[in-house]
Amino acid sequence: MKISIEWLREYLDLPESAEQLALILTMAGHVVESITEIAGDPVLEVEITSNRPDCLSYLGIAREIAALYGTKLRTPRTAKMLRARQERAEYHIEIRDRDLCPRYVGLVLDGIRIGPSPDWMQRRLAASGMRPVNSIVDITNYVLLEYGHPLHAFDFDKLHEGRIIVGRARQGQKMETLDGIERELDSEMLLINDGAGPVAIAGVMGGRDSEISDTTTRVLLECAYFQPASVRRTSKKLGLSTEASYRFERGADWDGPPAAIARTCYWIRRLAGGQIAGSLQDVYPEPIAPVRIGLRRDRAEALLGVSLTPEFIGSTLKSLHFKPVRQGKGQWLVQCPTFRADMELEADLIEEVARFYGYQRIPATIPASRSAGQSSAVHSPEQATRHIMRGLGFSEIMSLSFAGEQDQRRFPPPEGQSLEIRNPLTEETRFLRASLVPGLVKAVKCNFNHNQYQVQLFEIAKIFRRGADGAVCERNTLAMAGTGTGAGRSWLDPGAEYDFYRLKGAVLALLAGLRCAPAEVVPAPPPAWLNEASSAALMIDGKCLGVLGALHPALAEEYKLKQTVHIAEIDFQGLCPYLFSPIRFQPLARFPSVERDLSITVSREVSYGALRRAILDLGIGELAALELTDVYEGDQIPAGRVGMTLRFTFLDREGTLVIDRVQRFSDNVVRLLRESFGAELR
Amino acid sequence: MSGSFEELRRHFEEDLTRASSLDDVKRVRDKWLARDNGIITGEMKRLRDLPKEERPAFGQGMNQLRAQVESRIEELRAALQAAEDLRGRKRSDLTRPGYPFALGTLHPIRQLQEEIEAIFVSLGFTVFDLPEVETDYYNFEALNMPRLHPARDAQDTFYFDDNLLLRTHCSTVQVHAMESMKPPIRAVNIGKAYRRDAFDATHSPMFNQVDVLVVDAGITMGDLKGTLEIFLKRVFQQDIRMRLRPGYFPFVEPGAEVDISCIFCSGSGCRICKQSGWIEILGAGMVHPKVLRISGVDDARYSGFAWGMGIDRVAILKYGVDDIRLFFENDLRFLNQF
Repeated sequence: MKISIEWLREYLDLPESAEQLALILTMAGHVVESITEIAGDPVLEVEITSNRPDCLSYLGIAREIAALYGTKLRTPRTAKMLRARQERAEYHIEIRDRDLCPRYVGLVLDGIRIGPSPDWMQRRLAASGMRPVNSIVDITNYVLLEYGHPLHAFDFDKLHEGRIIVGRARQGQKMETLDGIERELDSEMLLINDGAGPVAIAGVMGGRDSEISDTTTRVLLECAYFQPASVRRTSKKLGLSTEASYRFERGADWDGPPAAIARTCYWIRRLAGGQIAGSLQDVYPEPIAPVRIGLRRDRAEALLGVSLTPEFIGSTLKSLHFKPVRQGKGQWLVQCPTFRADMELEADLIEEVARFYGYQRIPATIPASRSAGQSSAVHSPEQATRHIMRGLGFSEIMSLSFAGEQDQRRFPPPEGQSLEIRNPLTEETRFLRASLVPGLVKAVKCNFNHNQYQVQLFEIAKIFRRGADGAVCERNTLAMAGTGTGAGRSWLDPGAEYDFYRLKGAVLALLAGLRCAPAEVVPAPPPAWLNEASSAALMIDGKCLGVLGALHPALAEEYKLKQTVHIAEIDFQGLCPYLFSPIRFQPLARFPSVERDLSITVSREVSYGALRRAILDLGIGELAALELTDVYEGDQIPAGRVGMTLRFTFLDREGTLVIDRVQRFSDNVVRLLRESFGAELR
Repeated sequence: MSGSFEELRRHFEEDLTRASSLDDVKRVRDKWLARDNGIITGEMKRLRDLPKEERPAFGQGMNQLRAQVESRIEELRAALQAAEDLRGRKRSDLTRPGYPFALGTLHPIRQLQEEIEAIFVSLGFTVFDLPEVETDYYNFEALNMPRLHPARDAQDTFYFDDNLLLRTHCSTVQVHAMESMKPPIRAVNIGKAYRRDAFDATHSPMFNQVDVLVVDAGITMGDLKGTLEIFLKRVFQQDIRMRLRPGYFPFVEPGAEVDISCIFCSGSGCRICKQSGWIEILGAGMVHPKVLRISGVDDARYSGFAWGMGIDRVAILKYGVDDIRLFFENDLRFLNQF
C-alpha cells in the first residue's frame, strides 16, 4: 500500500518526518519498505500483512498512527442525507445467496457529467499506483483508498429493469468482464445480475456491458459486504486479482458500506454534478453481530511475561477503537471494531496490547529446560559420515531435489514410481529425484567445465518414490563420485587415476569408520547407469544396500565427460541399523604373532574373494589376519594365470606359537589352494 | 722440543676455538695441514735440519700432533656439519609441498545446519527428521491456514495432487512434535523446504530452514526473546543486537518479525541493510491457540513459542555470498572456500 504523506495529513496532524513515521509504523507491525518522493511529497510503501485489510486504506493507516501518537482523527466529510427528494430512479435489490453476500447497499445518482477528475485527485491516485479513468471511476477508486471498502459504479441506464440480483452463477455461465475477457463461471461463484443477466462478478470485477462510459448520466453505486472465502475462491479460480478482491478476500468491514457510499456521494456531487435520484437501499437481512472476546489481564501477563496495568490495557484497546467492558477484576469483555477482520481469540487482543506495550520492552528470559537434548536417529550417523567422507578427501555437495524427464530416462529408479509435480516450474524440475546420481554427475560435469578434473564429491539427501501401494517413500541416501586422481597432483605421488578399487576402498573405509556390521562388495548385475564391466553391490546382512562402479560409457558420452567417473549410491537409511556396533574390549595379545607370506599363481577365473572365503572357512582360529599384498600378471607367469601374494598373520592368544604349528597352518592352506583352486606355489 | 709441541698445540686449539663455521674449519685445516704451506707441513720440513738422534722423537711428536690436529678438525667439522644438516640446508628442499593428503570440504549450508543442531541439542531440544513431501494438513491446515487462507499466497506451493505437496516450510515440526510428544516439548526441524519461485540470484525453489517449537506450562514471549537471543548470538556473533516487531504468521499470535543489527556495519547503516542498520532474519511468535488445540494440546494449561529461519540467508549474510544459486551448483571453486 502506497501512502502519500500529503494526502495522509488530511486525516490527522503528523508532527514527525516521513522517516520517523516510517520507523513508528514498522515497529507497530506495518513495515515501511521504502520512501520515495513524488513531486516533493514523500510516499511510503507500506507492507500490509494479510490479517490487516483494514490498513489497506488511508483511514486505516491514520487510525493506527492516531492510536500510536494519541492524536485525534479528522473524520472525512460525507453526504448527510442519502435520500432522493423525489424518487426518479426506481431500482430493486434482491440478495438470493445471503451466505455469500450478507449486505448490499445501493444508491442511484443522476445528472452526472462524465469527464476527467480534478488534477489533485488524479495525482493522488497516480501516487497510489492507480490509473485515472474518469470522474466516476476515479471517485470510487479514491474512496476505496480512503476507506478501504471497494465500491462499484454501474451505468444505471444499462441495467435491465433497474434490478440488482445477487446470486450464484450457473455452472458454465459466461460473462465478459471490464478487461474485455470472457470468463467462464462455476456454480460457486457469486454474480451481480440485472433483469437480464450478469453485470459483475461479485467483489472481483464489473462487467463490460454496464461499464461507465462518456455518455453515462445515471449511476448505481454498489457497496457491499461479500464473504471473504467466496471472493478468494472466485479470484483464485479465475486467476483474477483486483484491488476489490484483494480487500474482500482478506475481510472488509461489514459496517463500512453506508459511510463509504456517503463519502462517494459527497465526491460525486462535488466533482461530477450528480444528485440522488434513487434513495439509499441497505439490504442487510441478518445484521452481523460485532465480535466480542473475553480478555484476562493475568493471561496477557502470563503470555507476554510482563506486568500490565488495567489502565494500560483499557486505554490501548480504546485507542484502537475496541470497546472493553470490565467484567470484574482484571477481566474485560471486549467488543471489536467491525473493520478488524482478524479478531477472533483472546490471543489476538493480547497481541494488540503487546504491540502497544512494545515488543522491545518485554524482558528476555530463559525458560527452564526439563528435557535432555537429543539428535535424530538419522542425523548422528549422517554427521559422522560427512566428517569421515571429508577426511577421505570427498567434498560435500547439495543438489536440487528435482529431476527432469531426461534424468528419469538416464537413471531409471529400480522400483516404484517417481513423484511427479503437478505444477512444476520447468521440465527439468518436473519430478522429485529418485536417485542422487544425476545431481552428482551434473556436479562432476560442472567442475570439468571449469577445468577441474580431479574431483571427489558426495551428497547425503533424500530420494523419493511412490511405493506399489501409492504411499510416498523418502529415503536418506548417500552417493559419492570420484574421477581423475581425486584431488590434485603432487610431486611425491603422481596420483593413481581413480579406479573401482579406490572407490571400493573409500566405501569400506567409511563403513569401518561407522563401525558397520560386516559388509561385502560382490560383483552384481549393474543398474542401467553403471558399466557392466565394473559394477558391484554392497551387501550387508544378506541385503543389497548399495551399488558401485563406473558410469556407463554411453552416459559418459551423453554428458560429454572426458574421464571415467566412479560412482556409489548407498541406501543410507537402510544402512543405519547396522552402524555403531557396540564396542567390546578384547584383551591385548600377550604373545607375539607370526607372519607368513605365500606367493601363488591361479587361473584368472579364480577370484580372490573365493580364495579368501575358502581359507577363512578352514576355521583356523589362530588366523588373525589375511591380506592380499601383491598381484602380478605378466611375463613371469604362464598366460591365463595370475600371481598373488597372501600375507597370513597367525596369533595364539594362549601361548607362543611354535614354528611347527605355523607350518601346519600353512600346509593346510596350501593344500586347500592346490586342491580346490589349482593354485601353484611360486 | 716438547715445549714447542705444546706451543703449537696451544696455537692450534686457539685457532680451533675461533672457528665457528665449516668455512672457518676449512681455513684452519689449510693453515695447519695444507700440503705446501701448512704449519704442520712446515714443521715437518724442519726434520731434515735436525741432528740425527733427535729426528725420531721429533718425527713421532709431529706425527702425533698431525693426527691430533686432523682428528680435532674432523671432530669440529662433523659437529658443525651435523648442526648444519639439522638446520636442513643440505639434506633436502623442505620448501617443496608435503604429502598430498587431501581433505574434502563440507557444504557451507550443512556446516551451518550442524552448528545450529548442536546449539539446539545443547539447549535440550529434540531434533526431528521429517518428510519433505507433506500433506496439506501438516503444512497448512493444522497451522491455521485453511484452504482459502490469504496467507497461502506468500507460499507458492508445489503440489502432487490436491492433498500432497512439497513442504513450504519446516514449521511442520509444530504439528508433528505435538502429536508425538507431550509437554514439555522442545523440538527443532532442520531441512529443506520448497516454494514455487524461479531460480535467480535471491530465490531458489529449494531452500533450507530451521524451525523451532517450545511448548510448556508458563512459556512467555520473554522466553521467546531470551532463547532467540542465545541462538542468534551463537549463530552470528556475541555482540549483535536483536529487535522484535509485530509481524503476521497465521500459526502464531502474537507474531513477530525479528531483526538483527547489521553484521556488516554494526548498525550504522550500509548497502546490505538498506541504511536501516537492521537485517530481517526470521519470523517468530507465540504458538497460536488454534494450533495448540488442533494438535491436542490444552491451550488453557500450556503456551509455547515457535520460530522459523532461512539457513541459506544466514549463509549468504555470514559469508557475503552474492548469489544463492552458488550453493546448489557444486562448483569446487566455491565449495573449497568453506
